[in-house]
Amino acid sequence: MKHKETTWGWMLAVDFFFAGMGGAMIALAGISYLFFGDALTATIGNFIGPIFVAMGAGFLVLELGRPLQAWRVFMNPKAILTFGAWNMTLAIGFGFVFASFRIASLPWAGWVWAQQITAVSSIITGLIVATYPGVLLGRHNARPFWTGPGIVSLFLLSSLLTGLAAHDLANSLFANTTNFSKLLAGLLVLQVVLWGLYIYMKCTGTTNREATIAQQWVNGDFAVGFWAILLGLGSLVPLIIYLLPSNPIMTLAGILVLLGGAWMRWMVVKSGEYRTWLPGEEFYLSRLPRGDEEFLKALK
Amino acid sequence: MARYAMVLDTRICIGCHSCTVACKINNDLPVDMIYNPVTTIGPTGVYPNLHMTHIPLLCMHCDNPPCVDACPTGASQQREDGIVWVEDEKCVGCKACVMACPYGARHPNLEVGIVQKCNFCMDLVDAGEEPHCVKTCHQRARIFGDLDDPNSEISLLLNSERSVRLLPELGTEPYVFYIMD
Repeated sequence: MKHKETTWGWMLAVDFFFAGMGGAMIALAGISYLFFGDALTATIGNFIGPIFVAMGAGFLVLELGRPLQAWRVFMNPKAILTFGAWNMTLAIGFGFVFASFRIASLPWAGWVWAQQITAVSSIITGLIVATYPGVLLGRHNARPFWTGPGIVSLFLLSSLLTGLAAHDLANSLFANTTNFSKLLAGLLVLQVVLWGLYIYMKCTGTTNREATIAQQWVNGDFAVGFWAILLGLGSLVPLIIYLLPSNPIMTLAGILVLLGGAWMRWMVVKSGEYRTWLPGEEFYLSRLPRGDEEFLKALK
Repeated sequence: MARYAMVLDTRICIGCHSCTVACKINNDLPVDMIYNPVTTIGPTGVYPNLHMTHIPLLCMHCDNPPCVDACPTGASQQREDGIVWVEDEKCVGCKACVMACPYGARHPNLEVGIVQKCNFCMDLVDAGEEPHCVKTCHQRARIFGDLDDPNSEISLLLNSERSVRLLPELGTEPYVFYIMD
């Protein structure tokens, strides 16, 4: 409700998830092609990357108050959202073109020079798309949980992790191979360490308002989501599965990594509702109607 | 060129909320939207030495407005006289400005799909009048004027009294000043 200061909703978190994962998939497809040849990623995985970015863009449009005016977000070159929108568009284009080189019946399938140029373009735009949600959030000075460069690393890491897991899933489901278990395990360890340090630093090394919201992740409203879902189900359980030799539930690990990534984004976006309050503001807002009261309905 | 600003003298604000009501009525705001709330701190102290402070809040019309930089459509704009406003036609309701504003001064109108805010009643200002909240304040706790005019009431007041700005550490350079006890 507006009195409660309406903020970004779950659809933006879903946009961050799909765009980050898709951007990383596009970049990883380009990297694997340039350095390891065509064998590391499945063709369908290369196509799914840009599709995921497009899905993220779709959720972003749905989050808008006036979705039919969505084209206007391309209009202010100084805004980081505009920068992100252009990059998503470019990444989708480069991602599809790069993936299309795998279709032998297309006339440009053998143009190696074009494939290499598209791979480089995919890497650049894909990495930007994978990183920019963190940059977008980190620049918000007045949102204590987001502010600072730390969130950029966490979003980039999560994008790479989910993108790699998605490629791994595509490989195992459609190409009958898994290539990235050890790499995924390493990234999961990094995710646990970096999230632990981020929360620790927010709790102890920054301002009181940052410590207040970070404490919610340790033992407050977000604690179950942080410990049980993000670190437990989304990180440690798949980490154990990936480290098991020749196990039959590798697919489950990939799915858990994706769920953990989506959940992390939702919690981070939700934590942005905690603003730096002005004197007396929190108490004032707490006394206003929430919006579902009968008298408000009658007035409307 | 003018540079408009507002001073809020919390020493004489009695927390009557007249400014809130005047703003809502004259700007025809939805029932659940408030541009300028008045918060209350206190009472503090021990009887008979009690103290209560009322703090009117509104858009700070910052010199370095993060909401304008955040707007992807160019709907959020700042005039040369410092007034920050939203061009409704261009706004798509992405709420980037809502999240960027440290002062909670941006309000999504979910029915129309745009974001609204205080614009210092710029139509009135352009006509040489004062904003509704200023005109209605019977305590004259709100002083509005041109800071580029050294003889304006607001310039003289700010030169003679110690004032503070909210969240100065964020570097937004607010142009709403508070005179505190």
